[in-house]
Amino acid sequence: MKPIRNRGFNRRQILGGLAGTSVAMPYFWAGRANAATQLAVRTPGGAYDEVKKETVYEPFRKATGIEIVPVAATVAKLLAMHRSGQMEVDLIDTGDDVLLQLHVAGALMPIDEKAFKRTNLEDIEASVRHKTFIGCFNYAMVMGYHTAAYPKGKEPKSWAEFWDIKTFPGPRTLADMASGAPDIEFALLADGVPMDKLYPLDIDRAFKSLSKVRPAITKFWDTGALSAQMLADKEVVLGGLWSTRLMVAIEKGAPLGVQWNQNAVLGQAYGVPVGGRNTEAAWAFIDFSLQPEIQSAWLKPYNGIPVNQKAYADTSPNLIDPDTKLPWTKSKGYVRDINWWSENRAKVNTAWSRWIAQ
Amino acid sequence: MRREAFWRDPAILVYPAIAFLVIGFVIPLTWFFVATLSEIGGPSAILGQVVSIASSRAVVSALITTNWIALLVTALTLLAGYPIAYYLSTGNRLRFTLVLFCIVVPYFTSVIVRTYSWMVLLGRNGVINQALLSLGVIDAPLPLLYNKLGVVIGMTYVLLPYMILTLYAAMKAIDPSYMRAGLALGASRTYAFRRIYLPLSAHGAISGSLIVFILAIGFFITPALMGGPSDVMIAMLIERSVEIMLDWQGAAIMSLLLLALTLVLFAIYYRVTDVRRMMGA
Repeated sequence: MKPIRNRGFNRRQILGGLAGTSVAMPYFWAGRANAATQLAVRTPGGAYDEVKKETVYEPFRKATGIEIVPVAATVAKLLAMHRSGQMEVDLIDTGDDVLLQLHVAGALMPIDEKAFKRTNLEDIEASVRHKTFIGCFNYAMVMGYHTAAYPKGKEPKSWAEFWDIKTFPGPRTLADMASGAPDIEFALLADGVPMDKLYPLDIDRAFKSLSKVRPAITKFWDTGALSAQMLADKEVVLGGLWSTRLMVAIEKGAPLGVQWNQNAVLGQAYGVPVGGRNTEAAWAFIDFSLQPEIQSAWLKPYNGIPVNQKAYADTSPNLIDPDTKLPWTKSKGYVRDINWWSENRAKVNTAWSRWIAQ
Repeated sequence: MRREAFWRDPAILVYPAIAFLVIGFVIPLTWFFVATLSEIGGPSAILGQVVSIASSRAVVSALITTNWIALLVTALTLLAGYPIAYYLSTGNRLRFTLVLFCIVVPYFTSVIVRTYSWMVLLGRNGVINQALLSLGVIDAPLPLLYNKLGVVIGMTYVLLPYMILTLYAAMKAIDPSYMRAGLALGASRTYAFRRIYLPLSAHGAISGSLIVFILAIGFFITPALMGGPSDVMIAMLIERSVEIMLDWQGAAIMSLLLLALTLVLFAIYYRVTDVRRMMGA
């Protein structure tokens, strides 16, 4: 066989190729939002964006000409962006516990109070206003049940009853450490700790209590999607899961119910990252989306509880306790203490790993 | 003159791939380890940290679980894959195309979708349990999901093609006249298989097992979705350290442990596998 005769490249062709590549390079990075007309927002995606697109993003675009571009990013990715000095999002819409982690890392700008023109900051619940992030709605970790296993009214009414696997048999699910925080508050409530005396949490006592319910736990869930799916598929008949996920499943026709007693109130919030390229528009968006009308327009279909007190009157009726006329989070819930979690997550993680390997 | 020889060497065709690997894999990986580990301190501090993490309860039990599951999956893919590969290597073209099609096509679907499909089949109220219950074979649903069995089933399914294709390459290289000669000389079919075919296909089985094992120890999605509370594999622990705990040093050390394990296995793989023969040269 004759040797293959390759012409080879000459130096000029290669240099030309390199030059061409370097000219083309910026276009690979040009996918980023155009600062003047677009705002890159980290969002949870899915049903959340579907509802918000029509009720918040579109009205905002009409009012300001700025288009919202939802971006998926985990807290680790956001932190990596911050550390490398290449913040690719202008606004972060995520859990307040995650924003607290970013705050601790110095990745968030202080709230620019002067930027609020449409929303009166005084109307926003004081408990959700922080130095560098501000709540946008509340939801809860609630008890969900399958109505084929427990007809409405026959379900466990407290975490103590959820823990009672003899009287209320059936497979269950609770949150995994990988979801961010296992349900050790529920374990303490089940063990008799009163709701207002939970914090600081007694970690050892909580895991001892968790051991009692463990035989009935099919799986600890790590993502919200899995928790609702397992309950809807009847893989489990009881579970601790996010009220928003549960409501979406119920509205899609899944035979599930909510027990609001002893719910853990959680917060979704906005934070503006240091190094974002469109900070001004980010504040404008926060201001816009916290107005009472916009809060109702978006949170009523999404079954979230507004943080603007002026929007309380127009909250989804699913979220109102008929006895007190207050949102369930106020009448039957306690607020999960994100500061305690921020300081103790590592300790809980170690205890969790030890416990799960038992 | 020397420059001329450089451009004429066909090895030049490999350089872009090597450059890509170095720029896209080796450099970032090295940089990641150096940057993360140097935050811990000097070599002795790093060593101390490595030892304390490697001996922690979470990592030890995750490594045991990981290796055990990977071993089970490897054994099962070998048992299931060997006959299929044999069938493929002896069959006609149509049979080969059909079977290969069935094995390869599902791989165009994402691993998450395929894992969820298994969950639909294996669940307490899944297709398999419903069918067995209605046939009266069982009285209560079998626990097929959210335990080690579920993880092993899911991972075996995902990794089976790697075993089949590796075995197929080895079996295709076996000259069928050896078996015919054995039979003609009076050996029984089992004897001929055991003394001729099995040893000749053994290197394929070893390579296939190593590649499946190497892939299995790094698995994340399938065990996370299909496993039970205590089926924590090392990749799940790494993910939790990165995403939830933001403990990147811990994650880097665990990744280093996993990488070291993989490299050791890969070295064995390299020794066992005749790469040139697999390429058909």
